[in-house]
Amino acid sequence: MENRTTTGASIHWAAEMHAQEYRDGKLSRREFLARATALGVAVPAAYSMIGLAAPARAATPVSQGGTLRIQMEVHGLREPRLYEWSEHGNITRGWLEYLIHYNNDGSFTPVLAESWETSDDAKTITIHLRQGVKWNNGDPFTADDVVHNFNLWCDGTVEGNSMATRMGPLVDPDTKKAIEGGIVAADEHTVVLNLPAPDITILAGIADYPAAVTHPSLNGGNPVDNPIGTGPYMPESYSVGEKAVIVRNPDHTWWNEGNGAYVDRVEFIDYGTDPATVMAAVEAEEVDMTYESIGEFIDILDGLGMVRSEAATAATIVTRPNQSAEVDGKKPYEDPRVRRALAMAVDNAIVLELGYAGRGKPAENHHVSPIHPEYAELPPLVVDPAGAMALMKEAGMENYEHELISLDDGFEKDTTDAVAAQLRDAGFKVNRKVLPGSTFWNDWDKYPFSSTTWNQRPLGVQVLTLAYKSGVPWNETGFNNEEFDKTLTDASAIADADKRRVLMKRLEEIMQEEGVIIQPYWRSIYNHSRPGLVNAEMHAQFEIKYQYIGFAE
Amino acid sequence: MGVFFLRRLGTMLLTALVLTFIVFFLTNLQPNLEKVAKFEGNARMTDAEVASWLEKRGYTQPLLKRYGEWLGVSKGWTYTSDEGRVTGRCIRDNIPAEEAPQRCGLLQGDWGQSSVFKVSAGKVVSEKLALTGRLMLWVMLLMVPLALIVGILAGMREASVLDRTLSTFSIVTTATPEYVSGVIFIAVFTSSAVGLKWFKGTATQAMENPTFENFFLPVLTIALYGMGYIARMTRASMTEVMTAQYIRTARLKGVSFGNIVMKHALRNALIAPFTVIMLQFPWLLNGVVIVETLFNYKGFGWALVQAAGNNDIQLLLAISVVSVFVVLVTQLISDIGYVYLNPRIRIS
Amino acid sequence: MEPLSWTGSIAFLNPLLMLALAALAISIVVWILGSILLPEAPINVNVDGTVSSGSGLFGLVQTILRYSFFACVALSVAYIVLGILMGTGAGIIGAISQQFLPVWLSLVILFAMSVAFKRRLGLYGKLFDSPIGMIGFGLVMFWVFTGVFGALDLIVTHDPLTQVSGMKNKVPGTPLPSPEEGEYAWYLLGGDNLARDVFSRMVKGAWIVVQIAPLATMFAFMVGITLGLPAGYYGGRLDTFLSFLANLILAFPVILLFYLLVTPEIVATGVPNYMAAVLFIFPILFIGVLLNSRYYTRPNFRTPLLIGVLGIAIWLYLSLISTGGYIVNTETYSIWGLPTYLDLFNIPGGILVVFVSVVFVNSPTVFRIVRGLALDIKTRDYVAAAQTRGEGPWYIMLWEILPNARGPLIVDFCLRIGYTTILLGTLGFFGLGLPPESPDWGSTINEGRRLLSIYLHPALPPALALLSLVLGLNLLADGLREESLKD
Repeated sequence: MENRTTTGASIHWAAEMHAQEYRDGKLSRREFLARATALGVAVPAAYSMIGLAAPARAATPVSQGGTLRIQMEVHGLREPRLYEWSEHGNITRGWLEYLIHYNNDGSFTPVLAESWETSDDAKTITIHLRQGVKWNNGDPFTADDVVHNFNLWCDGTVEGNSMATRMGPLVDPDTKKAIEGGIVAADEHTVVLNLPAPDITILAGIADYPAAVTHPSLNGGNPVDNPIGTGPYMPESYSVGEKAVIVRNPDHTWWNEGNGAYVDRVEFIDYGTDPATVMAAVEAEEVDMTYESIGEFIDILDGLGMVRSEAATAATIVTRPNQSAEVDGKKPYEDPRVRRALAMAVDNAIVLELGYAGRGKPAENHHVSPIHPEYAELPPLVVDPAGAMALMKEAGMENYEHELISLDDGFEKDTTDAVAAQLRDAGFKVNRKVLPGSTFWNDWDKYPFSSTTWNQRPLGVQVLTLAYKSGVPWNETGFNNEEFDKTLTDASAIADADKRRVLMKRLEEIMQEEGVIIQPYWRSIYNHSRPGLVNAEMHAQFEIKYQYIGFAE
Repeated sequence: MGVFFLRRLGTMLLTALVLTFIVFFLTNLQPNLEKVAKFEGNARMTDAEVASWLEKRGYTQPLLKRYGEWLGVSKGWTYTSDEGRVTGRCIRDNIPAEEAPQRCGLLQGDWGQSSVFKVSAGKVVSEKLALTGRLMLWVMLLMVPLALIVGILAGMREASVLDRTLSTFSIVTTATPEYVSGVIFIAVFTSSAVGLKWFKGTATQAMENPTFENFFLPVLTIALYGMGYIARMTRASMTEVMTAQYIRTARLKGVSFGNIVMKHALRNALIAPFTVIMLQFPWLLNGVVIVETLFNYKGFGWALVQAAGNNDIQLLLAISVVSVFVVLVTQLISDIGYVYLNPRIRIS
Repeated sequence: MEPLSWTGSIAFLNPLLMLALAALAISIVVWILGSILLPEAPINVNVDGTVSSGSGLFGLVQTILRYSFFACVALSVAYIVLGILMGTGAGIIGAISQQFLPVWLSLVILFAMSVAFKRRLGLYGKLFDSPIGMIGFGLVMFWVFTGVFGALDLIVTHDPLTQVSGMKNKVPGTPLPSPEEGEYAWYLLGGDNLARDVFSRMVKGAWIVVQIAPLATMFAFMVGITLGLPAGYYGGRLDTFLSFLANLILAFPVILLFYLLVTPEIVATGVPNYMAAVLFIFPILFIGVLLNSRYYTRPNFRTPLLIGVLGIAIWLYLSLISTGGYIVNTETYSIWGLPTYLDLFNIPGGILVVFVSVVFVNSPTVFRIVRGLALDIKTRDYVAAAQTRGEGPWYIMLWEILPNARGPLIVDFCLRIGYTTILLGTLGFFGLGLPPESPDWGSTINEGRRLLSIYLHPALPPALALLSLVLGLNLLADGLREESLKD
């Protein structure tokens, strides 16, 4: 068996080490794949390193032509780095492609980038671009385009540019723009990223939906109005809240011609957020696949003869007290005993059953998922309503009336209601308050006690840094713990997940001891498609790659 | 008559002006502006980002000035960025800053840009009104004849079993709000659980291609709720007419019952229902909101919910202007029609 | 524990009820067809002076109709009585009738007393001459009693917010997996999507509806009357101005108004609190003027009376509008209200906003009705007589015009409670206003409808409850109208 990376260069030492760990049973297959491919090993090679054959692409022959109708919300579009919905990326994915793609099994596959390498100290990332790719206006796709895009992503002065947070050390904290010499076009098809500090999350960042690669002429505009991209499709019409129509571009030769772009026309139809309406649309045979199927409707759609597809994820919901929030002049959640009492009173398994129809795995109140490579197993949580009450009495807060806030709809509301009921069972006073989505997100990180949904991120340190390090913008818990911050900083500089796990264990323990969050479960997510639709499986990050979906012959 | 019209027109304009100002005031309160910024910019923006976003888009000017901009009586805002790029209310992508008009508001025929739908608010409203108009047309075609028939049959012979049965029916329909009847209809006629599947549970496709299958249930849901009220009005007016002197005289003369109803009673009995039917138009505008949401038919009511939920200021203003005119015009028509049908009343 | 069936051991009544219902339905259909198709039955004047219409087919159908109707009523009563006696032995129906025992008792007492003394009870007593009115009144009172007893925790079987693991979306009559000592062992009408008891939620929801709807309607009437009477009586500029304001509010699409008033952003700015402060002054004005106009000739009696009544009213008013010591409390500024130790009760923020909005949209309609009535009545002779007696304008408005306008107003009041109930449901439907987890019917229907295609039981009980209450109010209004017309 020959070991090859995507570039033909020698395999990263860490990947070899991970392969050994897999053989020793220390790593799951999924974890191994995630780490090896992030280090630049091609997926088939990674599989072969551990003596497995890569899963074959669907062998079903796919017919050319047809119209694909997808149920999905159609939000107002803007330039890609400002995207805040996976739906945004799904619509433009047919012409605005990405450098790399994140797979459900945790691996990365090349798209516009042909291969990439990470240096041993994780400070230099070299990206080799695919040759012969053309924009659909005829321009060749070069390293300059990619450098241009990296500069766009790093620009923190643009309000709402969420890519800037994903670019980590590439962004100069003073100018809020890309650091000098950080992004270099080595030749026409090679881009080198020179990081001032090791960062293992940038590759995951450029696989995320706001990282669509745009043509320089877009210039902050709407990609529907100026649809220059590298993909095989182009938009035909776009009406917010109703429908987006995308058709195959007849005047453009796609780099992957022949391996996709099966259907002639893709329609994204918006049926709102109510799953009952979505189901009615399926029953009326108005759509071929759903964006996401929820709760009880999963069984109903199964019953309608639709094909179910599931993706287990590290996406979750967190019910958290905000330690620094003030209510009537005092900080009710400043005392760790209060927070621990809250967490102790809630049985995560029951919340999963009632709030999410049991479709997922109970979580352990530390926001690190078994999917994450550095996950360390802790002893199981103890649910003890009586003990919780005693603890709350000790803190002198047994008569405090908690106001628990959530979105007004969907599993967010049900789950939070279930948490509230558990807290009431333990004898606490809980008031529920719901806010519509348009309002909820205005102050989502400031509410004293509320539920927030978190999407999956490939690495555990990534999540903890994003949400629990003191002072970061998305720190919604007001958590401020010196030991935690220091351990986290140390852990983030360790490229090897096993060494990181030692520190991670301590981080998880701190999260539990301090009662930072109540995290009921990890969600499994589902979608449904008509029988005969190929490659329409659920993606862990809600991506729909319609250029590869088609009807079986 | 001319003075009457002028006065009504004046009232109408004044009402519209006051109402739009109230809507403008409520939608432009500080927390609502933050909502706009976070909706159009990014939901997870920081406070400083929100402030600069609002500043760059003219939201920090005084309220009256901006209301004037919307009306088109004061000059539109402009903002020059550090790089010298000029943006402004009247400056669109395809018109350079130098050529852009100074004022662009209602008076110039510009309804502003809808923040939810990213197109002109005037365009959204006219498209949505057409869709809702179609829904209303069919509702009226179903509701009015049905209500009149039920009302006349019930009022023909007061306190008969027919009257009791039909009256109970109309009371039950008025007592069943759309969100109850619509839900029951969907469960019974469209779901696989009951298995009838006669109709479709969504009317989304009916926007492009209305068929009996996908359009009947929403129409029925609205029509049933509205029907009871008209039917009861018709019944009341019919019973009153049937006890009138001239009907008694006709009966004593030996005119057959059928002839009495058709030739003598009907015309007089229809005056009251006419007013009620005209006043149903504004009510329909509200009623459709529930049904359009329930059946996912993206008309005027649906647009209203979207605009209100996301604080789409320009669209909300356009919607209020339209609603005010619908209400007041139907009132006017009902007044005129009342006079026309009932010659005893004169406009003072 | 065994799951309960619908009727348990009294299932033998079911075929009988089916038969009776079928007979009733058929005879009604035949009767209607007959009355349309057949010529009118000849009317015979008998020797003793009474009138009887033709017998034959008509008479037969009429007899069947009457008896099958009585049979249906008797059987329904049998279900309830047997249910009360046998409890869960008579299945879900039995268990529910047993739970409702306090309501049945109260209804029986109320009706017995009312029928016995109906001649002395004025318009209310006359209601018991009209079958329609009685049915309507019965339905309304059923829900009122349910609400009251439900609030006293008499009828409910479980806490409306408690979630029991394993009871998610379970069908009616499902036993609890592991009931504790003293806990009711079944979910009588099943569990909802969050494993809460549908029956208890419906009962608890009745209290919310029975509280808010009539109160909000009453406030709307106070506002409408206080403004409508002078508008109609004086006319002129005042009338033009007030009518313009009323039309302004009426020209607003109700839903838009609610979205604008109820959204958290607007609530945060304190706009609804200002509206509450203004709207709730009207009842005080109303009572003050009412008493003053009557007793101003006897200042010795009036002054203490006014001080006492208005003192209490103002205290209630301040308690109503101030929460936690503030009338308006926003981030940037606040207005001091009643200190907390004097504050009698606190209305939860969400409910206050809904309440204010409902009063706000209903008052202009009431205003228009009152104004129309006042315009009509002020031309009557007794008003002229009062004017020549030298009575003040407010005395004439409140003690001459208003009592004579009571008939249509009472009828409209009943209808309006119904609309308000529907409106509250609409708000719940759009997720506006009332707090989440609230068992009120509108919100429950909205939550239940999502899963309606597989689980009918969470949405149907509140839907039917809402329907029957509004139906009762409509029938009651009809009965009152008929009886008041007989004057």
